[in-house]
Amino acid sequence: MKLYRLTSATLLRRKSWVICAFVVGVLPFLLQYISSGSENPVLLKPAIAQASWSMALLSAIFWGFFTAAKQGESNARSGMGEYFLTTGLSAGRQLFEMWLAVFTYLLPIPLIAAGVCIFAASPSLADERSMWIATNLQYCVLFIFVMAPLVALASAVASRFGSITGFLTSSALAIYGLYGVGYLELLANLEDNALLKWLWSSSPHYHFADPTERLRYKLGAIAWDKFPLLLLYFGGIMLTYAVISRLLFRVRAAA
Amino acid sequence: MKHRNAGQLTSLDYPAPIIRKKSEYNADQMDTQSPTLQLQEGLTIGYSQPLAAATENILLDGGTHFLIARNGRGKTTLLRTLAKTLKQLHGSFEAQGKIQYLPEDLRFDPEITVTDIFKAMLSKDKRESAFKLADALELDVRKPYGKLSTGNRRKAHLIVAENSADLKSGSILLLDEPFSGLDAYAREIFENMWRESSQQVLRLVSCHPDYDSMGMPSALVIQGEEIRHTVGHDQTWSQLKQQLN
Repeated sequence: MKLYRLTSATLLRRKSWVICAFVVGVLPFLLQYISSGSENPVLLKPAIAQASWSMALLSAIFWGFFTAAKQGESNARSGMGEYFLTTGLSAGRQLFEMWLAVFTYLLPIPLIAAGVCIFAASPSLADERSMWIATNLQYCVLFIFVMAPLVALASAVASRFGSITGFLTSSALAIYGLYGVGYLELLANLEDNALLKWLWSSSPHYHFADPTERLRYKLGAIAWDKFPLLLLYFGGIMLTYAVISRLLFRVRAAA
Repeated sequence: MKHRNAGQLTSLDYPAPIIRKKSEYNADQMDTQSPTLQLQEGLTIGYSQPLAAATENILLDGGTHFLIARNGRGKTTLLRTLAKTLKQLHGSFEAQGKIQYLPEDLRFDPEITVTDIFKAMLSKDKRESAFKLADALELDVRKPYGKLSTGNRRKAHLIVAENSADLKSGSILLLDEPFSGLDAYAREIFENMWRESSQQVLRLVSCHPDYDSMGMPSALVIQGEEIRHTVGHDQTWSQLKQQLN
């Protein structure tokens, strides 16, 4: 696990993870003051919940994918990838160890977001609170399922086409899946266009992993019989992206 | 004031610190398989076009072998081919031993310290000798990699490579321009180390020597489009450079 240790140590030294920790752990408490919670205290807790998960998603997209892309590019261009390859660390293994290192730093993000929601924004009624905890834990798992393959994709694309392309590819896919797909559905229904409908159905529906609406309006946890289906859906996307990432990943920049 | 010429350095000028006791190397030798590298006649290297080809069967065994050629003649290409990160155009070669290729342009993240690098890259039992060697080479291991001079970065790379070598099963180190930026003192230390582990490690070292009297008892020379092996105990860079074109 040399590359894992090296990448982890590098990320620790860069200290940019501190910004993420601040954004997810502290900012939700500051952002509530610019919400309408100051006029109506009932809205304070939903505002914290919405802010903490929004910050978690933004941190993963902007920090996580950027870091993964930077590592992918640096591994290919710094000679490290080639060096590790000659010591017996295959390209697939290198991608895995880099992904694991970045993900080690990403993993606390949904946990912190869930923690903030559970400890600072839980409803006061016992029934609602248990539902609240379940919802947050469900979205923790979905967050991991969604972000994990996109981190690998950012590294892989960056190793071949540079860090900006790697970052933009994963970010664009995530933002499209979270927010763009909804607009596409609206457009497809308005136009009654078969191509748009096909595009919509084959798009990654990451909005299923965005808990903000469900938490804000206390819609309750995802039904437990439906939850495995969601995991299966995102697991399928994960597998597809894993294969694409492995195919794209290279240990050395083109000569 | 005493003036030193790099070409006249002796171990008396710069007594090299003992990094590993000789007996340790000898003990390793007892059950060690000597590494070998065999280039078959016809082995052709290059990218889309051939750069050079071996005109004879070449057998290299444990010890230091220099790789010399003019710029752009295929030194790095040959090293990459032997490291199997680049496919040869024709022919074949055989390597017996664990290969490690240290690219010339290798670099770590500028924020990471040398200590972090050693901790990440080396097993626990190798770290102590790495830190001792760094100390002997006057390499500040607490400094971030990005703040090191070119020579000190090179020292860090070489320490990692040397301490990653597997002395038990035999290692092949392919070193691309390891001396560029290194001072004579550091080079002397590495050359002493190389002599001591010559049975267990085969080193193929590409370089552009900076003094004529540098001894090169075994050298792979890329001359024109031919890869040749020349040996001679008293062979020096001064004689070999005449062959380069």
